[in-house]
Amino acid sequence: MFAPLQNPTINFILVAVALIISVVILIALNSSPPYVRRWVIAGVTFLVGLYVPLEFYIPRHNFLTVWRDPLSDLVRVLAGFTIGLGIVNLVIVHGRHVLQRTANLPFSLAFFVGFISMAFVGFLHRYKPELWAQKPSEGELAFWSAAYKVFFEGLLLPLTSTVFSLLAFFIVSAAYRAFRIRTLEAGLLMAAAIIVMLANVPVGTWLTSWLPQEGWLKWLRLENASLWLTTQINAPTMRGILFGAAVGGLGAALRILLSLERSFAFGGQG
Amino acid sequence: MQHADWGTIYPYLVWALTAIIGLGIVLASVGKRLHIRRLPAIDAIEEAVGRATEMGRPMMFVPGLAGVDVPTFQAIAIAGHVARLAARYRSRIILPVTDTVILTMAEQVLREAYAEGGAPDAFNPEDIRFLSGDQFAFASGVVGLMNRERVAANFFFGSFAAESLILAETGQALGAIQIAGTPSTLQIPFFIAACDFTVIGEEYYAVTAYLTREPILLGSVWGQDVCRILLASLIFATTVAQKFLPPIVLKFLGI
Repeated sequence: MFAPLQNPTINFILVAVALIISVVILIALNSSPPYVRRWVIAGVTFLVGLYVPLEFYIPRHNFLTVWRDPLSDLVRVLAGFTIGLGIVNLVIVHGRHVLQRTANLPFSLAFFVGFISMAFVGFLHRYKPELWAQKPSEGELAFWSAAYKVFFEGLLLPLTSTVFSLLAFFIVSAAYRAFRIRTLEAGLLMAAAIIVMLANVPVGTWLTSWLPQEGWLKWLRLENASLWLTTQINAPTMRGILFGAAVGGLGAALRILLSLERSFAFGGQG
Repeated sequence: MQHADWGTIYPYLVWALTAIIGLGIVLASVGKRLHIRRLPAIDAIEEAVGRATEMGRPMMFVPGLAGVDVPTFQAIAIAGHVARLAARYRSRIILPVTDTVILTMAEQVLREAYAEGGAPDAFNPEDIRFLSGDQFAFASGVVGLMNRERVAANFFFGSFAAESLILAETGQALGAIQIAGTPSTLQIPFFIAACDFTVIGEEYYAVTAYLTREPILLGSVWGQDVCRILLASLIFATTVAQKFLPPIVLKFLGI
C-alpha cells in the first residue's frame, strides 16, 4: 500500500513530521486526566483488536486487507522504539552498580564489556568490515567479519549451549523428586516413565523381544506398551488441556479487547 | 494472504464460542450470581507474598518468554494482582522480561498496582528488568538474579519453553515457595515436578477472575466452561455419528 519513497528530502520531511506528531500525542496523553487516557487506550485496543479478526473472517481479499502490511510495519516500528528503552533499562541498572561499586560490580562490568564490544564488532562487520585492517585475500573473511564470527559463533553460541546443557542435570533432580513413590499417582507416573524410557533404548526392547508379535500378548512388549501410553493416554490428555487452554485464551482475548481486565486499565480507575 | 474458510465449521464455531463467552459477561453484568471452583494454587499466592515479607526477601515474577500475546497479557494482569498484594506489605517484586514491549507494559501495570495498593513509593522501576531477548541468556540472567537477590517466592506465569525447568529447579534449590501457571502444555510436567503449586490449562485464564471475584470476569469464565462442555459434546457426537453422516457434512465438519 505504501511504497518506499525514493526521494531522500521528502523522506526526511515525513520522518520529521511523524516524530513531531508522535511527540505531540505523547505530551497530550501525559497531560490528559487519567480517565481520558484510559478511554483512549481502551478505544485503540478495541479498534486494533477488532481489525485482526474482521480482516481474517471477511472472506478473501477485502477492504481491510490493504491495511494489513502497514499495520504490521507500524507494530514493528513501535517495537523498535521499545528496544531503545530496553537498552536504557540495562544501562541504568548496571550503571548504578558500577557507579556505587556494589557487590554486583563484576557482573555489571561484564555486561558493559560484552555489550559494547559486541555492538562495536557487529556494526563494523555490517558496515565497514575492512576498517583499519588489511584487505582480505580471496576466500578469506574481512577482519571485522572474522571477529564477529569469533564473538557470535565462538562465544555466544557455546555459552547458550552450555546453559541449555544444564537442563540435563535439572531433569535428573526434578525426576528424582517426581518419582518418589509416596502416592498412587506417583507410582503410576513412575511405572509409565519406566516403560517409556526402557522402550526408547535397545536393551529395553530386547528385554521383551521374546514375546509374540501378534495376539494380545504383543501389548506386553515394551515398544507397544510405550506406544499405547504415548498415543492413547498422553496425547489425548495433552489435547484436552490444550482445548481447555485455547477456549480460555479466547475468553482472555475478549476480556483484553473489551478492556475488562482491571490490570490493563492504564491511567487509573478514574 | 490467509482468510477464514466459511465452507467448514471452524469460523462458525469460533464466533459461536465468542458469543457464548460474551453472553456470560452480559449475564454477570446484569447481576446473575456465578460460582468458580476453588483453585489452591491461587489461594497460595497470598501465602507466598506473606512468607516473602516475613523473611524480608524479594519475590520474583517471570512473565514467560513470549512477546505480545494473550498468555503474556494474562501473565502481566496476574503480576498486577500480585503487586497489589505486595504493596499492602510493602514487599518488593523483581520482574525480568525478555521482550522490550512487555518491559514498558509491565512497568506501567506494576507502578499503578503499587499505587492502588497504597504504597507508590515502594515501587522501584529498576526492579522491572530487561535481561535479554535470547532464551538461554534470559534464563541465565534470571537464575543469577534469583541467587544474588535470594528470592523467597517465585511466580512463573506465561508461555515457557525449555528454560522452565532451569528456572524452577534453581528456585527449588533456593527454598523459595514457587507458584507456576502456563498454557504451554509441554512445560506443565516440569512445573508440577519443581513447583509447590501449579495451575494448568484453562485454570491459567481464570486466575484474574478468581483473584478479583469481579462479576464480569467471572461471567467470562462461566462462558468458557459452557464452551468446553459444548465442544466436548460436539467431539463425542461427531465421533459416534461420523459413520452415518453424509460426505458433505463430514467435509463441513473437517473430518
